Amino acid sequence: MRKTTFPAVLTTFLVCAAFWLLLTWSVATEELIAGGVVSLLAALFAGRFFIHEKAGWFFNPAKFFVGLFYWICVFPIELIKANCSMAGLVLGGCKKVKPGIVKIPVDLKSDYGQAALANSITLTPGTITMEIAEEGEQTYYYVHWIKAESDGAEAGEAIKGRMEKWIRRFWQ
Amino acid sequence: MALRIVIDVLLAVGAFFALVGVLGILRMPDTFCRMQASTCVNTMGVIGLTLGALLYAIFLKQDVGSAVKIGVIGLLILITNPIGAHSIAKGAYKAGIRPDAPMETDDLGRDSE
Repeated sequence: MRKTTFPAVLTTFLVCAAFWLLLTWSVATEELIAGGVVSLLAALFAGRFFIHEKAGWFFNPAKFFVGLFYWICVFPIELIKANCSMAGLVLGGCKKVKPGIVKIPVDLKSDYGQAALANSITLTPGTITMEIAEEGEQTYYYVHWIKAESDGAEAGEAIKGRMEKWIRRFWQ
Repeated sequence: MALRIVIDVLLAVGAFFALVGVLGILRMPDTFCRMQASTCVNTMGVIGLTLGALLYAIFLKQDVGSAVKIGVIGLLILITNPIGAHSIAKGAYKAGIRPDAPMETDDLGRDSE
């Protein structure tokens, strides 16, 4: 079991308090006190699950803006492209599906980075991450792909596209 | 007026991709391909609808509270959907569900033997 550290509790507390402020949208004293108590309790219980690595990365502005740029500009373009090809496939009568499970290599060390890449792959229509395997130093994903035309590293390039490069920039 | 057009276009895009996802669920040949098509509903469908609702709440209704709630709903769907999709796909595969036509490549089946 992981230990609860002070930076983990502090970061979780700040995120919870920011969410409370957004949801209530008022700065009355009672609201602030109630929000502080609830956030502190949540941070004490959940901090060790929320923060595994260095807690300060979220407040590093350069990395924060790289992350924001990824989620606002890079990822939605991939999403729209994948959605349009999926719409063409479905409206064309699903004749061209070639389903298959391919194993692709992934070069990310951080837990958060691997989770973010797996979720990005699952969110783009046409690919679903099914399993993560670690063989020695190298990490592999098993991805169910609806147009399984290639295999190995080539399939990895086609599935991950530009996403892995951008995720590596802020979660090395 | 221009704002109304933008909002309506966003809602129409969301509804179109939700329709495509549902059509895909009905037409795809096997379980895993159906899950792929359903991803259309909760990415572009949800993004289009929440963006439209967000613009409506901010500029026409001028209600920040509901705008924030709409944003949180959209974010939570986008964060939780892939986690559910991972576990459903993995659970279906472990439970022995296979497509009728053999898959092109099946690395997971090959490696777990």
